[in-house]
Amino acid sequence: MDRREVLKLLGLSSALLAMPAEWVSALRAIHASLGSTPALKILNPHQDATVMAMAELILPQTDTPGAKAVRVNEFIDRIVADWYSDEDRVRFLAGLATVDARTRSLFQKDFVDASPSQQSEILRALGEEMAQATETLANAPRGYRGADPEPEDNFYFMFRQLTLTGYFTSEAGFTEQLHEEIIPGRFDGCIPFGPPVASKGS
Amino acid sequence: MAQTEFDAIVIGSGMTGGWAAKELTEKGVRTLVLEAGRPIVPEKDYVEHVPPWEMSFRGMRDRKKILREQPIQGLCYACEETNAQFFVKDTEHPYTTEPGKPFRWIRGRQVGGRSIVWGRQCYRWSDLDFTANVREGIAVDWPIRYADLAPWYDYVEDFIGISGEPLGLGQLPDGKFLPPMQMNCAELAVRQAMARHFGGERVLTIGRVAVLTETHRGRAACHYCGPCHRGCITLSYFSSVNATLPAAKKTGLLTLRPFSTVHSLIFDSNTRRIAGVRVIDSQTRATLEFHAPLLFLCASTLESARILLNSATTEFPGGLANSSGELGHNLMDHIKGGGAKGIIPGYENRRSFGNRPNIAYMPRFRNVNEKHRAFLRGYGFQGEADQDGWPRGAISPAFGAGFKNAISRPGPWQFTFSGYGECLPNRNNFVEIDKNTVDAWGIPSLKIHCAFGENEFSIRKDMSIAAAEMLSAAGAISIQPFQDDDPPGFSVHEMGTARMGRDPKTSVLNAWNQSHDIKNLFITDGSCMASSGCVNPSLTYMALTARACDYAVSLLKRGEL
Repeated sequence: MDRREVLKLLGLSSALLAMPAEWVSALRAIHASLGSTPALKILNPHQDATVMAMAELILPQTDTPGAKAVRVNEFIDRIVADWYSDEDRVRFLAGLATVDARTRSLFQKDFVDASPSQQSEILRALGEEMAQATETLANAPRGYRGADPEPEDNFYFMFRQLTLTGYFTSEAGFTEQLHEEIIPGRFDGCIPFGPPVASKGS
Repeated sequence: MAQTEFDAIVIGSGMTGGWAAKELTEKGVRTLVLEAGRPIVPEKDYVEHVPPWEMSFRGMRDRKKILREQPIQGLCYACEETNAQFFVKDTEHPYTTEPGKPFRWIRGRQVGGRSIVWGRQCYRWSDLDFTANVREGIAVDWPIRYADLAPWYDYVEDFIGISGEPLGLGQLPDGKFLPPMQMNCAELAVRQAMARHFGGERVLTIGRVAVLTETHRGRAACHYCGPCHRGCITLSYFSSVNATLPAAKKTGLLTLRPFSTVHSLIFDSNTRRIAGVRVIDSQTRATLEFHAPLLFLCASTLESARILLNSATTEFPGGLANSSGELGHNLMDHIKGGGAKGIIPGYENRRSFGNRPNIAYMPRFRNVNEKHRAFLRGYGFQGEADQDGWPRGAISPAFGAGFKNAISRPGPWQFTFSGYGECLPNRNNFVEIDKNTVDAWGIPSLKIHCAFGENEFSIRKDMSIAAAEMLSAAGAISIQPFQDDDPPGFSVHEMGTARMGRDPKTSVLNAWNQSHDIKNLFITDGSCMASSGCVNPSLTYMALTARACDYAVSLLKRGEL
């Protein structure tokens, strides 16, 4: 395996090729950061970084861990690789690529390189399109069936579903954020909420 | 195998097989239980406390594996990521249906059968149910009445432990209940609204459920973890593994043989008795025979019919014990899929804590006092109020810290009524052996011909209308009626195929679940049912089994088998 192949597998930009003196240390750093996490099945490092940035923006670190800390990216990678149909996998990865395309056309850089406010602007645009898709579904004629319409082929909806599932089924999401217990020990049918918890992160 | 080793053979170790094992052994009968599937060891096999973060797919199941191996079982709500092994592999258990007439056959092959994954709702039948056929001139009259079964309901309930609320209703007799589980805020609100608007005609109560609310006969009270269908290490819900099989084992007279797939029954034409059972060892494929003077067939409605149909002889060319020609016919399942949901306002600052393994229940109110013009019989509603959780956040465009905290709080209270309706017995709903389809053990499988009829569809339509009307009366908003086209089999209440009756010419079994044709053959699973009622049937199967065992042992002891 030559240097070019290694870099390609790691999804690094060709810019690194122009820095031969630094590539060994750059690779070491990448290997060190990967060392703590199992290898991803389908997302390359750039896609992974994009996923993590988007997920953390949706569910950020507050007084409890955020999406990044609970490694929502690993769950998303597993679902896209092993659970999605071929069609959904293509749809998801293409949708992820359009996030960069959209950011580049507005801000001339990839999503991960954009500022937090620029990233938020992208998410708001994705959210508006998802809402329009939902509204179209809601207005479409449908059977005598009372279900909330969900735009299952909308990339951002798919992404949010996976982000929320990955987060709230993680140990920290389940126990620290939701205060759920695997063995509650009792059932109370009607108790008051506590006072709303103020968020440190907002 | 020596003839004298066993006094009785029970085929199946699930809901009714477990009861037959317990009753027979406790009456001193040396009993062999044959179970097609593997043994179950609670400490090793129960998975109710596996947290989602230890599941590969976080509770979303191994979708591709399910599509590959369990495309039918996977349609059942109870077949989940951690417990799919409590359901058969469809690839090993093929069956066929007619084009355009799907039937969902949900099956479990392991010690305990489907009693491990059942819904645990327990309701008594009343004479409204037992007399329905004869009053309406449909099918055949039940050979028993409520008074025949009432003491056996008492007996079974006392052993298994059912929590619930007595109501004093004629159509849903009270039983021996442990303290009821709590209803939640919105359920109590709907209950009060029903009492206001419908007097005593429509009553919302907490489900009568085979889950303990206090220590009962050595089994611990529920700890409200929620997913009973994954098992229960504290044995707090009833299953044969948790209760009846241990009781049978305690007698020292039980021999439980897992991995014993029954091929067919052996008929002795001289004595006109069942002489024994042909078994294929599920692992080695070796063929074996077991003999005993008494046989209880408790393999589940469709498996029992299949075994008898596969046991045809020259005397019984259409299937063993089938001189009536009714074997395999009159297959029923409750119709579901009709109901409505709506938001109950006023409790936005309230929530519940713990996972109650139970729902609310509204007993049948149609054709109880007044005759309904559109359909015969009736339906009950399972109902439940809950609050949407974090999944509702996927459709929201919001993000950030405020969003994270907002969706971590439960959403509005939503109440759902889901009907379970009676299915009329119909001779054209039947099963037969499909000679071209065999299972993984080479045993011919079933072709199932079953479809709901006009009466069932009228019932389902009324479920949606009545549910929406009641939600409206309860002050619900955003009311959404629904009509799901769930095919038969999906309630997993399949019954019929070897009905009880008074006349050997028109029924397979007598008033004691004993074959009219073959005196030492008893069938006590759902196949014995002459009509379907509208309540969850397992409690009735269990009571019928205990009653039949009592009768069979009296015959055995008098040498009359």
